[in-house]
Amino acid sequence: MVTKELIENRWKLVGGGALVALMALITVFTYELTKGVMNGQAGAKLPGFIHDYIVQMTATFDTFVWASWFSMSNNGGLVMVALAAILGAGLIAGEVGKGSIFLLLSKPISRERVLLTKYAVSAAMLLAVVLFGSLVLLIVTALMGHPQNIGGTLVSDLLFWLALLFTLGVATLFSVIFSDVLRPLALTLVVMLLVALPGFVPGGHDWSLPSYWTSLPAYLGQSFPLKEFVVAIIVAALPLIIVVPLFRRQQY
Amino acid sequence: MSTTTAIKQEALPVTSEAAAIEINNLVVSYGDKRAVDGLSLSVPIGSVYGFLGPNGAGKTTTIKTLLGFRQPNGGSAKVLGYDIVTQSLALRARVGYVSEVNSMYDYLTIPQMADFCRATSLRWDQSAVDRYLKMFGLPLKARVKQLSKGMKSQLAFSLAMGSQPDLLILDEPTSGLDPIARHDLLNQLVGEVAAGGTTVFFSSHILSEVEAVADWVGIINAGKLVISSELDQLKSSQKVLKLIYAEAPPPAEIDALRALPGAVRVDQEGRSVRITVHGDVNTLSQLVQARPYALRDAEIVDLNLEDIFLEYMKEGGNGR
Repeated sequence: MVTKELIENRWKLVGGGALVALMALITVFTYELTKGVMNGQAGAKLPGFIHDYIVQMTATFDTFVWASWFSMSNNGGLVMVALAAILGAGLIAGEVGKGSIFLLLSKPISRERVLLTKYAVSAAMLLAVVLFGSLVLLIVTALMGHPQNIGGTLVSDLLFWLALLFTLGVATLFSVIFSDVLRPLALTLVVMLLVALPGFVPGGHDWSLPSYWTSLPAYLGQSFPLKEFVVAIIVAALPLIIVVPLFRRQQY
Repeated sequence: MSTTTAIKQEALPVTSEAAAIEINNLVVSYGDKRAVDGLSLSVPIGSVYGFLGPNGAGKTTTIKTLLGFRQPNGGSAKVLGYDIVTQSLALRARVGYVSEVNSMYDYLTIPQMADFCRATSLRWDQSAVDRYLKMFGLPLKARVKQLSKGMKSQLAFSLAMGSQPDLLILDEPTSGLDPIARHDLLNQLVGEVAAGGTTVFFSSHILSEVEAVADWVGIINAGKLVISSELDQLKSSQKVLKLIYAEAPPPAEIDALRALPGAVRVDQEGRSVRITVHGDVNTLSQLVQARPYALRDAEIVDLNLEDIFLEYMKEGGNGR
């Protein structure tokens, strides 16, 4: 079953990996450009809060890489969230749409095992993509004379992977409810937008989930993000806790 | 002018001992609609059981419920002695299933499909799979998406046999196949499988194929069982007596014919009268010929399964 899942998703994995690598290159090579823009007239014309954010982001090469890579609204983050949503949306709804759910459920395997195996393979694929993207990032930044903190990058990778597990879990939940792939995909992206919204409201930072899925001090190797990990693990597990009994009761 | 009388339903024995499938008062609903409505049925071990019914009769829903895809809203059922709700996993380990839809993974090759099925089965006989694949002449290195619909059915059948099932459930297995592919799949294989002791339960609305391979039939309509019987017994118990009178018999005579023992239906077209008989047709024929209306011809005709099916469908399934 694991082999079948890997074969089924191989092109998503290859495509996601290639896109992430491309985003890693874009991240590294747009630092000077972004900084130049911010220091020029174009930057001055930007609304105040955006200008301040980008200035803060481009303060150093390391902060720029962190903000570009481990933020859900930038480069690699967006690609990986989209990949998690695509993988999750097709997890069960894809089987239902193709009719192969009947083959799967006719086998002497519990529904929990079916779901968790499929979920675990997707989770492992996401981890591989996250690590691959970071590897590209680490190599290119090192070649450019800006080596990044390897430990901090790994910790940030794990934290971001937990964010992707939440995305995957939400998409899986919708994938069990709906029989087509499009609705789970769209609804997952809406949920991801909603959980990020409080971050855009003054004083809402602590209520914004993405703020727990990344940590600048952790990336720079200055501290271990224990609170962030605890929140991210609980949040990643929540959709899974809901979806397992839901799938067990689902009628086909 | 056509005159019809209601079929008098006579209970045919339904075996409950040594049943591969035992369904008791099963109810399965989709929202407010009852797709299966108090179905009771027994499928003897070792039989080739044709599960018949018009589209939407509840055949597929019954099969889905037996395999645990849906939960029953009422009643109970056992498959190979296992309760369908509480022992579904054990049940599925011993059942092979071929669905009406193409339920295979298009992107896998045939060996990969076989590997997948082996990995998800508790027991596996690769030599049986290889034998059927060879028998069908399937291109072994091809991906599923490269196969024709008939080939996919053949592959599904081959893979279902890999798990060495004690019960093979086929849901409209020949749907969409051309007559040759249908013939190959059913006449050739179902017989071979059944000869090996495997019970075969297959749904279909193609009556000729059921008649060719089944030894038991059950007819379902609107979620209710209309009849379940050995095919030979069903056919031998139902005959048609075709009568040609010298002159058109009066309505009183038609009423008299309806009242004869074993006459379940009487249709009249001028001088021609058709009596559907359940029971001893020879005795009834003698009784008819002893009546005061001159007959030019009297002929006893066997009913085929299609005739029997249509007879029951006309009555809306108000049998047992």
